[in-house]
This record gives sequence, C-alpha cells and structure tokens, in this order.
Amino acid sequence: MGVQLLLDKISVKDIQLYDVYRAEGGYSSVEKALKLKPEDIVEEVKKSGLRGRGGAGFPTGMKWSFIAKPSGVPRHLVCNADESEPGTFKDRFLMEKIPHLLIEGLIVSSFALGSNTTYIYIRGEYAWIVDILEQAISEAEQHGWLGKNILGTGFDCNIYVQRGAGAYICGEETALIESLEGKRGNPRIKPPFPAVEGLWRRPTVVNNVETIAAVVPIINIGAEAYSKIGVGRSTGTKLISACGNINKPGVYEIDMTISVEDFVYSKDYCGGIKNNKKLKACIPGGSSVPILPANLLFNTADGKTRYMNYESLSEGGFATGSMLGSGGFIVLDEDQCIVKHTYTLARFYRHESCGQCSPCREGTGWMEKILLKFLNGEGRHNDIDLLWEIQSKIEGNTICPLGDAAAWPVAAAIRHFRHEFEQKIKI
Amino acid sequence: MIAFSTNQLQKFNQIVARYPEGKQKSALIPSLLFAQECFDNWLSVEVMDYIAQCLKITSIEVYEVATFYSMFNLKPVGKYVFEVCQTGPCMIQGAETIIDYIKKKLHIEVGQTTPDGLFTLKTVECLGACGYAPMMQQGKFYREHLTPEKVDQIINELTSKI
Ligand SMILES: Cc1cc2nc3c(=O)[nH]c(=O)nc-3n(C[C@H](O)[C@H](O)[C@H](O)COP(=O)(O)O)c2cc1C
Ligand code: SF4
Ligand code: FES
Repeated sequence: MGVQLLLDKISVKDIQLYDVYRAEGGYSSVEKALKLKPEDIVEEVKKSGLRGRGGAGFPTGMKWSFIAKPSGVPRHLVCNADESEPGTFKDRFLMEKIPHLLIEGLIVSSFALGSNTTYIYIRGEYAWIVDILEQAISEAEQHGWLGKNILGTGFDCNIYVQRGAGAYICGEETALIESLEGKRGNPRIKPPFPAVEGLWRRPTVVNNVETIAAVVPIINIGAEAYSKIGVGRSTGTKLISACGNINKPGVYEIDMTISVEDFVYSKDYCGGIKNNKKLKACIPGGSSVPILPANLLFNTADGKTRYMNYESLSEGGFATGSMLGSGGFIVLDEDQCIVKHTYTLARFYRHESCGQCSPCREGTGWMEKILLKFLNGEGRHNDIDLLWEIQSKIEGNTICPLGDAAAWPVAAAIRHFRHEFEQKIKI
Repeated sequence: MIAFSTNQLQKFNQIVARYPEGKQKSALIPSLLFAQECFDNWLSVEVMDYIAQCLKITSIEVYEVATFYSMFNLKPVGKYVFEVCQTGPCMIQGAETIIDYIKKKLHIEVGQTTPDGLFTLKTVECLGACGYAPMMQQGKFYREHLTPEKVDQIINELTSKI
C-alpha cells in the first residue's frame, strides 16, 4: 500500500466518534490553521497542488483565490456531497467511516474563505449519513470547534447539512446552488461564476467532500510535503471507488504513482478479475468518462505504462485515452456486453437531464432509444452513424457539462467497440 | 385539514432556522422530505399547499420542485418501497435477476404496489453503492449484496413487523 493521508486511521476502532478521532490527532489542523491568516491557508493549498476531487480536477487553491470579497456581503463554502456519478461511492465511504475528517476540513476551509455559514449538500438517498454528519457536527460544536469565537480567534462558523431529493444534476455546482435555494436543479449560465455570484447571489465556493478532507493533511504535513506525494500535476492521494467484475470492490486510497495494471491485479486493491475471467474494458473515472478496452487501459497507444493519475489516464486524448474523473473505476469482464452497459448509462443521462437545453434533453432520449434498438436486435447499419452524429451534436452545445457527460460514453463505446454494435445489427 | 403536530412543527422550525432571514425558501426540499415522512410517504396537493403556506411561498413554487426530484412521491406508495438500482455497475452484477425475482415473488410489475398496500417496486438509477451491488434502497437504508434469498429475508422481516 502507498501513502495514506485520508484513510490512514480508518481501521482505528470507533474512529467515527469524537473522542477517538481527537485522541488520534484529529482537529489539530484547525488549531494550526486558525493561527494563520486566511490568505496564507489559500496560499498553502495552492502550493500543495491539490486539484478538485469531484471530477473536473480544477486546482483548488486557485478556485479559492477567485472568491470575490465585496464588503459587507457574506461568503459561503458549500460542500458537494451529491455523489451521483455511476461508479462513484468514495465520498459516502469517507463520510460514513470518518465523518470528523470532513468536518475538520470544512472548518479550516471555511476559515480560509471567510464562510461563517457552510452547507453540506448531500444526495437525499444518503439519509442515514445525514445523522452521522449531524452527530459529528454537534460533537465538534460541544468541543468548541464550531459556533461562536472558535478557539478565541473571533471566527464564527456553523455547518448545516442539506439533503437533496434525487437528481444527479444537482452535483453540478450551479444546479446545486439552485437546489440549495429551494428550486429545481437547473444549471445556471456562467458567468457569473459562483465565486462572484453563488448562493443567494453571494460569493460561493463549491468543493467536493474529498477535496475538503484533503485540506486536513495539507495543513498537517505542509504543502511542500503534500506536493511531493504523487507525480507531476497529480499531487497527494486520491480515493478510488472500484466496482464491477473484480474480486475486491471497495474504496481505496492511492498515491497517484501506481500503474493501472497493478491497481487491477494487486491483492491490496481490486485483487484481479472475478472468476478468473479476462478483462474486457474499464471506465476508469466514473460513468461520464470514455471507456477503454483492455489494451489501452494498461498501456497508452504508444506503449507506455499507464498510471492512475490525471495526466497518464488522459494521455492520447479521447482517441486512445480517458480521464481520472471522480475516481469511479468500473471494470467489465469478457462476458459483458458493451452495448447493453452503454444503454444503461444512456438511460441514466436521459433520466437525469434537467431538460433546459434541447440537444441534451432530446439527444439523450434518442441515444437511449437507438441503443435499445440494438439491444433488441433491431439496429440498422446507419444507426451506428446516427448515434455518432447525435452524440457529436450534444457535445459542446449545452449549458452545463451533463450533455458532454452523456455524449462521451456513447462516443467511446462506438470508437472502441464498433464491432459489438455491428454484431447486433439486423440483417 | 393537514397540519404538523406540535413536535413536527418544532422539527420543521429547526429546518427553516438553518437559513438566513428571508431565505426560508431554501428549506423547501428538506421540508418536503420531512412532510413525506409525516404524511404517509407521499405528497398530495393538500400537503404541498400546506408546505407553501408554512414557508410563505406560492403553491406553484412547491409543485415545480416536487415534480423535479425523483424522491418525491406524487402518488400514494406502499408501506415499504423497494427501489432497486438498475444502472450499469449494478446491472453487470445481476440487478435484473433481482428485479425479476421481486416481480415474481410479489406478483407486481415495476411501478406497482401489492393489493394489500404493503410493497411497491421501483427501479432507480445509481445510488452510490456500486461496489456493493446489486442493491436497493428500502426506507432510510440501503440493502446491499442482494440475492434472491436475501430478498426473501427482507420481505419476511418486513411482513413480520405488521
Ligand atoms: C452533471 C454533473 C454532475 C456532477 N456531480 C458532482 C458530484 O456528485 N459531486 C461533486 O463533487 N462534483 C460533481 N460535479 C462537479 C461540480 O460541478 C464541481 O465541479 C465540483 O463540486 C467542484 O468541486 P472540486 O473542485 O472540489 O472537485 C458534477 C458536475 C456535473 C457537470
Ligand atoms: S446540458 Fe442537460 S442537464 Fe445541463 S443544463 Fe442542459 S439540459 Fe440541463
Ligand atoms: S450502479 Fe447501482 S448503486 Fe451505482
């Protein structure tokens, strides 16, 4: 196993309880950070190289430095715990197993951003996790880490948990903000960006659960040490939720120097393909990223070893590469039908489209219907081209990236597995 | 007339208190989830109008939201709702077998409720439990690593509660 920064204490008995968490050194990052100036924390996060763990990989420190500071206007930090991208279940694991790590990270981050009221927006289905988080928040409050005048610094902060009610689109940050305002989850047209006009038109930063948790080790070990873990622009550690036809599905913390092949076959991680089957394909970063056939998963098109990090997984662009995305690692064995799997994803995106933009609203429905035609053995030869054309017309033509996210899996399935579509054509 | 009990009203007020003055509309989604818990697990027009009144917003603002999110039931449902995930990662681990098994066992189709009003079967999209597939949500909790035997157990457990 490589370096562990987030899950290193996960096997400590009762680590979800405040006393145990504190005895293991919990909340020391708050003690350290509240002695610094907020700008210095932002600088530290910048130096760490931390990139957003929600999927897009945007540098966190930079995002924080964009937050507008008009005088007299409150600012907000909102933690994105909507986690709805198929294949992704890492944030849930973190919140269930070590909730205080998130609360600790939120206190430090709220201080850095000047947020006195911070919200955790959690998908509504994670109902029992709300209780876990609220318990952790109230324990933190009792011990003076939240509330008024924290550690005598004059900084006030409250954290509230807000449940969603079943809508993948509310993971998109502007839809999330709309939802938090009590509206339908329709993404907003940007600009203005949330950093300028977010929640209640106030400057807002939205960050993923894992991103916020990573702030804790950054403060504890220092940006310098954090940035030395990993490789290139993939610094620190990343949680990967692995599922599908593998021996050991679960959530793993990796430092981003491990090869994809090791990740799949090592007994410390996925433990190989179930029932000794052969690996057919893998979606390495959540359902929205392109699927890769086995031969492009372990090695890039020009024969280099592929590693589990932002740069290596995207090497080759969409022609021969994919993305690290949210870290939802979906493995398919030789028995799986790519057309069928892609169909379930198309159905997912059709179901989740908010309906504001016609390319997304209509296109996702057409893709689902055509894929179903193939599954029923009624596809025609020109349906493959039609499918290709539809996805290409969605991409880049919508308000939010859900359109792209719906298009990419279909495009990649045709690109790499055209023969499977052809086999299903009615002659 | 539909109304929260005193205890329920206290909880409702706590929800509204999470937001700054004048931003009580933000409490809408949590309020509707809470109302569903209080009033038979679905949102009738009466319930929605009541919530509008409590939050001092218009009814249409409530309908707009209630129709957008998949967790709001706009029609009555059974006492126990099985929401089985059918997205890719669950599908490759046998979600379809589980859905078929429940259909046969309860003699209902997806979207239907048993005549005794006990069980409703629904299919849903990825619930963030892909590594513990196949799975379903049942009430507040997830039931994971489902097998036909486990489904039997769950049904027995719930039936014996009555
Ligand atoms: C359709 C869609 C769904 C998304 N879902 C999530 C999600 O569930 N969780 C998340 O953290 N980010 C999600 N994102 C990304 C957010 O918009 C945003 O980039 C992220 O919360 C920023 O946090 P980070 O910089 O810490 O990653 C989604 C984006 C899109 C377009
Ligand atoms: S791309 Fe789709 S989900 Fe995003 S705003 Fe447009 S219709 Fe809504
Ligand atoms: S696909 Fe079923 S829980 Fe994710």
